[in-house]
Amino acid sequence: MNNENIIEIKDLKKTYENGVIKALDGINLEIKKGESVSIIGPSGSGKSTLLNMIGALDKADEGSINVAGIDLMQEKDLSDFRLNEIGFVFQLHNLIPNLTVLENLQTPLIETVISDKKMEERALKILKSVNLADKINQKPTKLSGGERQRVAIARALVNHPSIILADEPTGALDSKTQDVILDLLLDIHKQENVTLIMVTHEHDVAKKAERSIYVLDGKIKEIKKN
Amino acid sequence: MKFRDLIIKNIFRNKSRSILAVIGIAIGVAAVVGLGLVTDNLSASTQNALTAGAADFSVVSGTSSGNNGGGPPGGSSQLINQTYVSEIQQISGVNSTAGVLRTMTNLSNTTSNSTSTNTTSSTIGGGNFQSMTTLIGIDNSSLSMDDIVITNGSVYSNDNEVVIGKNAAQSLNKTVGSTISISNQTFKVVGIYETGNFMDDNGIVMSLSKLQNLTGDTGQVSLVLVKASSGTDASNLASTIEAKYPNELSTSTSLSGMNRMNNGLDVIKSGSWAVSLLAVLVGGIVVLVTMMKAVSERTREIGVLRAIGWSQKRILSMIIGESLVLSLIAIVVGLAIGIGLVELLSTTQILQGITPSFSASLILKGIGVALFLGIIGGIYPAYRASRLSPTEALRYE
Repeated sequence: MNNENIIEIKDLKKTYENGVIKALDGINLEIKKGESVSIIGPSGSGKSTLLNMIGALDKADEGSINVAGIDLMQEKDLSDFRLNEIGFVFQLHNLIPNLTVLENLQTPLIETVISDKKMEERALKILKSVNLADKINQKPTKLSGGERQRVAIARALVNHPSIILADEPTGALDSKTQDVILDLLLDIHKQENVTLIMVTHEHDVAKKAERSIYVLDGKIKEIKKN
Repeated sequence: MKFRDLIIKNIFRNKSRSILAVIGIAIGVAAVVGLGLVTDNLSASTQNALTAGAADFSVVSGTSSGNNGGGPPGGSSQLINQTYVSEIQQISGVNSTAGVLRTMTNLSNTTSNSTSTNTTSSTIGGGNFQSMTTLIGIDNSSLSMDDIVITNGSVYSNDNEVVIGKNAAQSLNKTVGSTISISNQTFKVVGIYETGNFMDDNGIVMSLSKLQNLTGDTGQVSLVLVKASSGTDASNLASTIEAKYPNELSTSTSLSGMNRMNNGLDVIKSGSWAVSLLAVLVGGIVVLVTMMKAVSERTREIGVLRAIGWSQKRILSMIIGESLVLSLIAIVVGLAIGIGLVELLSTTQILQGITPSFSASLILKGIGVALFLGIIGGIYPAYRASRLSPTEALRYE
């Protein structure tokens, strides 16, 4: 694996329903450390499946996929990989409703061995960086859509991942909030030198990344620099 | 935030569901503990009555269906001639004998100061089992032969005096100095006695001649209590008496009496276990369904937790942890319901004479049931939750 690449994918295939649906049909892709990439395509094109493969939420049938030096086809328990290397941001924030903002940020840290005090310090620092320091004791239901998504981004960052995977991160937001969230993600990407991969079906969003990868019918049709 | 804080927060998330699960487990605990308290007391009471008696065995009619080994509860049985009392006393190896007449009467038409009933036959009056009082006729010098110990007051000294069992005293609201009317005759209560046998403790004891007079059974007794001389084997002596009066008399030792009582107790215990098992089964199903629902509702959330790096083991621990915390709450609730209900019912006619005796083993049984239900009810939903594919869980609506 090239030292500059954080992700290397070769001839990756994934089918569903006993091979009837070809979600990924021979994907080849390399992404550099610290790069921002958007994966764009229509619904059902395979872009979310590709993101799930990179985040080790799902396993491919064939091919190879190496992320942050780990062969995802060989490793059996990938929860440690997800905990240490990946930060997920979903279209719907997916915050736990009965926990406060601060507690939501601490949930990934429960799996680590850091002390309660450090856990809180780290969560507070990140919440400050996304301008939510005054909302730490609020429940997600009391927050606006944009605020919830900022909490979700903060949660993705709390373990200092090397890659942020964002699946339609602005899909459920109005256009003004959309820009705020996108700028926040891109700022974090630049400041923390974290690799950012965003799935979107909107060209305006896709153009904000350094590279756009166009996926159709489970294949990469085009890769272009923005 | 600690992992345990999250588990506790999750439990209070859906209060009605958690309460349902706690009730399910608590019913199982209450059934095991409550019924256990009752059956343990019955067992102890019977053993006490059958083993602590001063008499070694009793002699009853050879055609009698009942038995009264060592002074256990007696109902109607074939009466025998009182002359057997002195005849048996003459047999070699017999230390002492005592004739006892036993009958049952209904004293439920109680007033605060007097109690009356008609005593005309071997079993007097009608009424249900709960309201029946045992009338025992025995000479005052032989009370210890029938295991009767005066705990308050004194022994009767004439035919107008009686002693009353502690349970009867409670239910009839009598104490030393009260009067009681039986068959239109008034008796003075001069003492309260205790035998350790809940049936006998619900009785009234008077002189043998007086009870014979009341029932019209002059010269008749229900049984003869026999105490063997020191160094004489009671079983051999019983066989000797049976051999001397073939077809006329039979004997009942404490041991054989106990065996028969134990058979009855075994039936009660089996019944109590069957009820407990049913309650445990219902409790188990309630917990299982509740936890399944809890997992199902949180499928998407479990997917998120897997996505942010939680291991399968962590998810498993979380669901089982929630189930165990519910069990711990249910232990307190179940023990309170089980013990409280038995305590309450023991003051009423339903469980009259039952004094709940608490044992560590019974409490441990209750705790065991709760933890068992918690683990069994939680393990399958927890396993299912931990095996969920993160992508499928995240797609769950």
